[in-house]
Amino acid sequence: MKKSKRFQVLAERDVNKDGFIKEWPEVGLIAMDGPNDPKPSIKVQNGKVVEMDGKKRADFDLLDTFIADYGIELSRAEEVSAIPSVDLAKMLVDVNVSRDEMVKYTIAMTPAKAAEVLGKMNVLEMMMALTKMRPRKTPSNQCHVTNLKDHPVQIAADSAEAALRGFDEHETTVGVVRYAPFNALSLLVGSQVGRPGVLTQCAVEEATELRLGMRGLTAYAETVSVYGTEQVFVDGDDTPWSKAFLASAYASRGLKMRFTSGTGSEVLMGYAEGKSMLYLEARCIYITKAAGVQGLQNGSISCIGVPGAVPSGIRAVLAENVITTMLDLEVASGNDQTFSHSPIRRTARTLMQMIPGTDFIFSGYSATPNYDNMFAGSNFDADDYDDYNIIQRDLKVDGGLRPVTEEEVVKIRNKAAKVLQVVFKELGLTEITDEEVEAATYAHGSKDMPDRNVVEDLKSAQEMMERNITGIDVVKALHNGGYEDVAGHLLNMMKMRVSGDHLHTSAIIDENFHVISAVNDRNDYHGPGTGYQISPERWDQIQNIPNAIDASDFE
Amino acid sequence: MNQKDMLENIVQEVMKQMSGGAPASVNGNTATADNDYPLSEKRADQIKSPTGKVLSEITLDRVMNGEVTADDCKIRPETLEMQAQIAESVGRDAFARNLRRAAELIAVPDERVLEIYNALRPYRSTKAELISIADELENKYKATINGGFVREAAELYDQRGRLRV
Repeated sequence: MKKSKRFQVLAERDVNKDGFIKEWPEVGLIAMDGPNDPKPSIKVQNGKVVEMDGKKRADFDLLDTFIADYGIELSRAEEVSAIPSVDLAKMLVDVNVSRDEMVKYTIAMTPAKAAEVLGKMNVLEMMMALTKMRPRKTPSNQCHVTNLKDHPVQIAADSAEAALRGFDEHETTVGVVRYAPFNALSLLVGSQVGRPGVLTQCAVEEATELRLGMRGLTAYAETVSVYGTEQVFVDGDDTPWSKAFLASAYASRGLKMRFTSGTGSEVLMGYAEGKSMLYLEARCIYITKAAGVQGLQNGSISCIGVPGAVPSGIRAVLAENVITTMLDLEVASGNDQTFSHSPIRRTARTLMQMIPGTDFIFSGYSATPNYDNMFAGSNFDADDYDDYNIIQRDLKVDGGLRPVTEEEVVKIRNKAAKVLQVVFKELGLTEITDEEVEAATYAHGSKDMPDRNVVEDLKSAQEMMERNITGIDVVKALHNGGYEDVAGHLLNMMKMRVSGDHLHTSAIIDENFHVISAVNDRNDYHGPGTGYQISPERWDQIQNIPNAIDASDFE
Repeated sequence: MNQKDMLENIVQEVMKQMSGGAPASVNGNTATADNDYPLSEKRADQIKSPTGKVLSEITLDRVMNGEVTADDCKIRPETLEMQAQIAESVGRDAFARNLRRAAELIAVPDERVLEIYNALRPYRSTKAELISIADELENKYKATINGGFVREAAELYDQRGRLRV
């Protein structure tokens, strides 16, 4: 066949570097409404579920039992089960049905019912539902702060900049596992320099992560994964009981935490039991609810390539976010791992959460260039900051970020690097040189950073844990090093765990250490003019990008 | 008793009954989202660390002179109970249950918490080992909700073949 020049150009487009798969329901390669998904049902006898989603109690696996015993509000379960799913879908979109009223229905649904309800909705309707159902009125955003070298000074500087730009939660992880204490410490210090009250976490193996939290080196955790089939859950080396115990362990130490799950994980791990991705994800969301955890990071997360490849997959990803809010859980709504070579596709995917607003629109906007993102990239990264800010301005949408000037960024990065230098010195950790401080101040990424002596760093990081360095030791180091302001911020973070106010659903902490959560900032959206409104001050911040022409300049 | 006091007592009694007789905590009342949250602002004078320091006593000066240590920056069971009541006041019963399990775990040392978590992972423990952990939680730490939770896991792991063999 003679080749078409037009098709030749199309073949070279970014989008055609992406992988796509046709539906294959028998193995679970189907986003929603799978032919093998169970029909919703529930039977309650003497306050106990005897049948759920077509299965008798005698046939329940661990997940069914956990959900049936702890995850469903039984007082209205049979009543809600009898309501046609399309009617419940209409109520979700109806601005005259308040969130408070709607939650009474949604927390009484079964997983199959929730999946079926979402199957009746298009993405616009789901976005309407997300606007209404997200627990916290004020939307927010979370970032990733990592780099290829695990360079502590760069982590501190990137975190300070990210805080200045508006991220309320910062997450790091490691390239080399034994760097974890340094990464956690650098993120903690950098974030508090950037903006007092930022919550930080270090995503590593469960037990290590909890240990870092107990020491006061992190404030929350989220990489506590749950799965939708028993086999995959067990292959992930946990059960609902072990994960629920871990959740309570976090709360007992005054640490905020959420679970993580996402469509596609079960099929990726080979045990989808022929069910659709959304149905299995619904089970994960119910397990989270049943464990009594305040929130969930979902939106496919590290499995986004799978739903991203099948028809209606990105719709399913939005649907899972919506179900999370229907169960009155905080949602950190994905948009993290890269799933497409096409910037157009990436933007379309993010608008699903950015326009409605969620508790955390990204559960990992990369605050570094993509090559430094150790979570396998992110849908948006540091090079996209201006694009993101301008989308906020174009649409008058609050995506949680703000434009900044080069001058203020350089200043805050420099301070963070210097403060970390002093903390390392005071704590007797490895040396941070003036050259590294200078490099981190002006760096784009780790390619601009001098190499560290990794062997010495790892030895020092291990000693830091053996010496049982706590957040209070860091407070003292900051004070002794002449940074009383940052010492005060860090102490306030430590004090948070005495009151536990930030354990609640969708909690963030503002610069005055006032907790904003779905307890005191409850979403009351019920149509135009209600719910979250961009204040004049905030709009001023969003619209004033440094490169906009001012007519007065021509006078 | 004057009329005003009497009225206050009656109202308090009625409120107690409405909240289903939950344990009293703030001046004998159940904590709620509207009255008590955030505790760090509205109850700053009553929120104490397990070492008995009130929030306002945890200051930078006291950290520097050694009067405040990392042990003063921990939550105590009474505070988690208040947070559980606040959660219930906004309809979050499952979350409140988690906070009550957490309140019990405060007494369990860090390393033991991590060990119990690991023991609850699949294929890590025999049924007898899990039941012994349940006994320990109940008897040594008065963690009865957690004890029951571990006991339930032991039974279900047995049924589903998730115990160590």
